[in-house]
Amino acid sequence: MTALATLPPAQFKSELKPIWCPGCGDYGVVQAIYRALSAIGRPPHEIAFISGIGCSSRIPGYTTAYGFNTVHGRALPIAQGLKLANPDLLVLVAGGDGDGFSIGGGHVPHAIRRNLDLTYIVMDNQVYGLTKGQLSPTSPKGLKTVTSAYGSLESPINPLLQVLSCGAGFVAQSTPADMPGLAAVIEEAIRYPGFSFVNVQSPCVTFGEEDQQVKAHKGRMQSLASKGHDPADYLKALELATHYGVELYTGVFYRNPNPPATYDAQVRERQAELQKTAVPRERILEMFQKG
Amino acid sequence: MRDIVIGMAGSGGDGIVSAGESLIAAAASLGFHAMMTKSFGPQIRGGESSCRVRLSTRELHSSGGALGVAIALNWEDFLKFGSELRCDDATVVIYEAKTGVLPEHIPLGNIKPREIMAVPLAELTKQSAGTEKAKNSLVLGLLSGWLGLSQDTLRKGIQRRYGKKGEEIVNGNLRAFEAGRQYADAHPSQTPLRLDAPAAATTKILTDGNDITAAAAIFAGCQFFGGYPITPSSEVMQFLGKEIWKYGGAVLQAEDEIAGIGTAVGASFGGKKAMTATSGPGMSLKTEILGLATIAELPLVVVNVQRGGPSTGLPTKPEQSDLYQACFSAHGDVLRPVLAPTSVADSFHCTVDAFNIAERYQTPVIILSDQEIAQRKETCDPIDTSKLVVEDRKRPTPEQLEKYTRFAASPDGISPISHPGMKGGAYLAAGIEHTESGAPSASGAVHARMNDKRFNKLLPLESWSGAVTVAGDAGADLALIAWGSIGGVALEVLDLAQAEGLRLKVLVPRLLYPVPKEVYRSFLRNVNSGLVVEQSHQGQLYKILRMELDLPKGLVSYCRSGANPIQPSEVLAKLKALSADARRSLS
Ligand SMILES: Cc1ncc(C[n+]2csc(CCOP(=O)(O)OP(=O)(O)O)c2C)c(N)n1
Ligand code: SF4
Ligand SMILES: [Mg+2]
Repeated sequence: MTALATLPPAQFKSELKPIWCPGCGDYGVVQAIYRALSAIGRPPHEIAFISGIGCSSRIPGYTTAYGFNTVHGRALPIAQGLKLANPDLLVLVAGGDGDGFSIGGGHVPHAIRRNLDLTYIVMDNQVYGLTKGQLSPTSPKGLKTVTSAYGSLESPINPLLQVLSCGAGFVAQSTPADMPGLAAVIEEAIRYPGFSFVNVQSPCVTFGEEDQQVKAHKGRMQSLASKGHDPADYLKALELATHYGVELYTGVFYRNPNPPATYDAQVRERQAELQKTAVPRERILEMFQKG
Repeated sequence: MRDIVIGMAGSGGDGIVSAGESLIAAAASLGFHAMMTKSFGPQIRGGESSCRVRLSTRELHSSGGALGVAIALNWEDFLKFGSELRCDDATVVIYEAKTGVLPEHIPLGNIKPREIMAVPLAELTKQSAGTEKAKNSLVLGLLSGWLGLSQDTLRKGIQRRYGKKGEEIVNGNLRAFEAGRQYADAHPSQTPLRLDAPAAATTKILTDGNDITAAAAIFAGCQFFGGYPITPSSEVMQFLGKEIWKYGGAVLQAEDEIAGIGTAVGASFGGKKAMTATSGPGMSLKTEILGLATIAELPLVVVNVQRGGPSTGLPTKPEQSDLYQACFSAHGDVLRPVLAPTSVADSFHCTVDAFNIAERYQTPVIILSDQEIAQRKETCDPIDTSKLVVEDRKRPTPEQLEKYTRFAASPDGISPISHPGMKGGAYLAAGIEHTESGAPSASGAVHARMNDKRFNKLLPLESWSGAVTVAGDAGADLALIAWGSIGGVALEVLDLAQAEGLRLKVLVPRLLYPVPKEVYRSFLRNVNSGLVVEQSHQGQLYKILRMELDLPKGLVSYCRSGANPIQPSEVLAKLKALSADARRSLS
């Protein structure tokens, strides 16, 4: 593991030119990621960035890290396999609200309960951007979209509450309307030793609602720190999270003050212990021998 | 006697399967070739259970045909296994006298077995061991007597099996064994059942297809397994879950099969050899990520232990009906190597081959095993692993890393692959079409070029020397083609044909896809007629061969849905009829 505190943010920017719509919130997210990675100081080749499919999932290609733009909804399993293959890597996972909480929703609780040291960033724009404006699992009830012509009949998922209730050790929220705050929570999430989650309310300028744009965010956002919230207070974090969709709280909802051992660390321990008992690979069949 | 099949059935508590296990373990250490299949009723515990143990002084290829010895602890359970415990007029039937059924009334329909013995199994066990629980040891005693199997070896087996349960239980079982043995001595069978001594009492390996597949994965350097339990493949994960850590690897029981293959693809992206295993329903779920591994050119081994389908189908019975799925289940143009083992020992080789092919060509490879091979126990001669080659993916050289191009064009279509952590090797892997550098691209020209690359790199496989096994009379105009466990049946048919002087040749493909066309063409050159035998309703291999090759008119499909074993004798009869027809039409 190398740590060079001197890598400027630009070192993490790739030559690929983003194809997001001008003004898309995801530009802010990738900028914040450059800043956070610069502060962390690990060189790009020691970082792997895994995503699903969606506008937001294009993000790994815009960094100089190893990237894997996988299939819709499956970034988390792929990232977990990668982390176990090489626990020394810094592994980032990113995607949209649809990618993470609809098609990939079944993987979220399991990634959390396994607690690998990963950082999962969801760009939650409450809509399907890439496929052009359909209802998303975080769209507010009643939202009219191309697939909900008369308004949606279902209530949205609350990503914060869901992730907190599954036991994630680090849960934060931010918006590109607060760039320093966004970069800071991403950096803190990366530093947390275990599964960390950042919900970024990342505006979709093309299909998003008026109150979900950067300008509206600037007016609505309230920092949890300024409200005096103690991130070690799990029950309070749960209560604050229930306001998702109404209030726009930014900052850290919860940081486990006593992070438990990660899955990857336990795997290493088990390997170290059991490697002592290995017969050479070439002789593996001897255990089946008779007579 | 050189070859005998013993079939036994009883209720769960009778320990019939454990009797079979003791028998095959003893036979293996005595140097016999042996094979054992077991079958259970649908209940998780209790229920009826049965096993077939085939013992021979010669190498075996299938679990055999009709029973030489049938043991029914009660008739109701025995009959539930129908064709799996088929009797004929050469069978010696032994059954529980307590059932009250008279020998002339045993419920085997029209079959007139060669010999019938009613034995007071429960009573003898109770008298000797003090409990009926030791019935399996009594049965072993009977078999030891009638077949002439070493008492010492069987006794040692009993001591090992029950050692943990305490002296009292061990001694009870030993007394039951002795009682069985004495009963057999006092009631010799009219039919000669004594087995010849094995040619040479060489050391044997005894295991099943799933365990040896997992062991082969470790031998091949696999360091990651992600999967979700499903019958009849779970043992692969279970074995690796015990062993892989010792080799610096990890097993992850995923939340579903999609995550199972997802974690494996992630590990492969991370530079480690990776594997997943499943059966039909799980295979259906894995399809999308299989395509991802193809386009991202990531090595991956996927085992599908076939069972009867579609849907939940017949979860515990073998079938060969997932071949289309293995070859063609994908969106887009995909060429994916598919291998099928033909025996337990071949499962080892097939798995090593699969890892080598996956690594060499940077592609997912499917191993199509089936329930029969996966869960049958079989003796194999020791495998000299020092003769086997283990390949690793082509990694970039330091010079190549100075200006790294992940999907760089090369004469063989194979580009050196980096992995996260490698300085200078960073690239974007993706399911989206990409240029040589990995940059996303929607250009038709790029897409065509990349499809060419992904297809052409696999062409050498068609002339791979391990693609098929050919046996028999090279000049014969009568042919038999079969794959997987039925490939073993085909080899057995060849033995029968040769014994009858019928000229026959056999081809058993191990590489099912891409079809090694030249190999088939030269095999079929002088063939007039023959069979492609498969355990499936459609005869999927036959249809794939028809699609890819011009087949001789007389080569026809012979297939049947799963769970209903295809017998060497019926294939032989069919072949004889075909060959006679062909002669007639020629003359
Ligand atoms: C299996 C599968 N189903 C559907 C799609 C089509 N699809 C691509 S992205 C997407 C949703 C995108 O929404 P979100 O995840 O919120 O990302 P965003 O574009 O809003 O950033 C859908 C439905 C797909 N690529 N794969
Ligand atoms: S559609 Fe929305 S989410 Fe997608 S790039 Fe445009 S603004 Fe961003
Ligand atoms: Mg979205």
